[in-house]
Amino acid sequence: MDHKTNPSRRQFLQTAGAAGAALAVPYFVPASSLGNDERAAPSERIVMGGIGIGNMGSGDQNAFKGRNDVQYVAVCDVRTDKRDAAKGNIDKQYNNTDCKAYVDFRELLARPDIDAVHIATPDHWHALMVIEACRNGKDVYCQKPETRTLREGPLMIEAARRYGRMVSGGSQRVLEDYRDMVAKSWGGEFGTIKSINVNVGPLSQICNLPAESVPSNIDWELWLGPAPWAPYNPGRCDGNFGTGGGSWRSYVDYSGGGMTDWGAHHFGGATFAVDVRELQPAEVAYNDEKGKNYVTLRYPNGLLLHHNYPDRANLQIEGTPGEKREPKPVPVYKGEGGIYGDFIHSVKTREKPFRDIELAVNTVVVSHLATIAYQLQRTLKWDAAKQEFTGDEEANRLCDRARREPWVL
Amino acid sequence: MLELALEALKTYDWGTDPKVLLPIDEAVVTTYGNAGARQDLEAKLAACLTTGVSRDAKDYVCRKLMVIGTAESVPTLAGLLTDKDLSHMARYALERIPATEAAQALRDGLAKVSGATQVGVIGSLGVRRDTASVPALAALLNNADASVARAAAIALGDIGTAEAAKALTDGKPTAPEAKQAATDASLACAEDLLASGKKAEALAVYKSLVGDGQPKQVRLAVTRGMVACAGK
Repeated sequence: MDHKTNPSRRQFLQTAGAAGAALAVPYFVPASSLGNDERAAPSERIVMGGIGIGNMGSGDQNAFKGRNDVQYVAVCDVRTDKRDAAKGNIDKQYNNTDCKAYVDFRELLARPDIDAVHIATPDHWHALMVIEACRNGKDVYCQKPETRTLREGPLMIEAARRYGRMVSGGSQRVLEDYRDMVAKSWGGEFGTIKSINVNVGPLSQICNLPAESVPSNIDWELWLGPAPWAPYNPGRCDGNFGTGGGSWRSYVDYSGGGMTDWGAHHFGGATFAVDVRELQPAEVAYNDEKGKNYVTLRYPNGLLLHHNYPDRANLQIEGTPGEKREPKPVPVYKGEGGIYGDFIHSVKTREKPFRDIELAVNTVVVSHLATIAYQLQRTLKWDAAKQEFTGDEEANRLCDRARREPWVL
Repeated sequence: MLELALEALKTYDWGTDPKVLLPIDEAVVTTYGNAGARQDLEAKLAACLTTGVSRDAKDYVCRKLMVIGTAESVPTLAGLLTDKDLSHMARYALERIPATEAAQALRDGLAKVSGATQVGVIGSLGVRRDTASVPALAALLNNADASVARAAAIALGDIGTAEAAKALTDGKPTAPEAKQAATDASLACAEDLLASGKKAEALAVYKSLVGDGQPKQVRLAVTRGMVACAGK
């Protein structure tokens, strides 16, 4: 048995991507002007659709629909009220009824006229949808956390690179919330950084809510998708931002809890501040001191990323202030309009977005490694090249989970 | 406490407070490294699967066997593969248990199921990158059920060997969703071949994908691959 993703294939896609850059479309060419499809005259707008238009999805939709360089044409949601509201929002924007509404995301992705999609479903759907979008030639803006399991990340990166797609993760907070700290850190004010701490949580939990009748306004089978079957309960699928129960973000079949949900922001900000975005940890040490549990992730360059270190503040940096270090220019968004504009810029220019899927995956890997260390209550070594734990077969079992038929990844 | 929790499984169902099973969760952790205790726990959990406990209780047991299951639990789990309500959770464990018996159970199960259940078994064989299942998967590439054919193509791409690549090239599925999956799987196989230095084999795969009817993202992938094949 070989559960591992294929490191050689990933390495090839990285180098082939670089070598084949000249083959990529160097500037935005609208879908309607490519190939031999029977369409109207080309538009200068990027044709977009949205999948999962709930709390976060509606915010993403509003950011894209108002752009002069986007034509928003389709929405998809398994909930009738969300779907109708999302379509109504677009119809109002354009003062027509042209926006098409779908229940099944595959129908939206199969449309040849759509250039790009934004995805804001519960987390257990992200990988499947991103990969399917890439196969269908779509660029993707995917909400964080981008993966539910460790196995999913490399598969998403592979799909993006294979088809030359621009795939952006969705944490706008990585750049926007931590600007001051990032500026100081990249400006050399902390000297040589030894460690940074992140306080975030909790882990997700099993959901065992009682069964209720499935209301008529939700396609329950499609909502569950690849997650284990369970009876409907409104608390199981509610999209509120809580992680303590009563929301899908709380439950292990759909989310990693606060550890991945807010972890995407805080670990993302932390790894950006200390400049390890392009790396994954090599070890996650489990600590149990005086009744307090915390983990410490060690990067190959020696940097320590603590999670819930006792008596340390969130994003507290341990360094050598006063030591002279040369400042480095801070990477920023390109284009206009924050992270959304950065994604649109990447679609037009074929330059990787600020929150390229590989960087986004590296962030959520931190959450997953920490979670597994807490679950097993022991220190683990992680081989980023092979995408497996070294010498811990039990931990490797937790790198993925079987998907419910008919969903295959 | 553990015995109480195991007893609680008999009446566990959706709506029960999951805290009653916490001692089992704790035992999964504390029995690590203790072969005897672990074996005992596994046996007690697996035994529940052949009793009349609820679907929810069996779901829970399969989640634990996903972590601690060994070849010992495989026969019991294999027996659930044909149960449309429990097949997925049986795979939840079987897909992650490294024992070769688990792979064999999935291979054996392939012929016993159909439709969506078969798609699930196929998917798990692909995730395991089970090279022994390539002939069986190849035979499903033009299955009358397009979802089965599609899953078989994806699984062959996961396996990624030269044999899998040949199966995809020879199989030529015709159903649109299976055809798209086979193209993607062929590209994945070609990447694996190229990464392992088998340029001639990779080029053959890429050449088989050349065609004006291919969507632009496939043409891009094929062109990039062929350029790489021509490189040093």
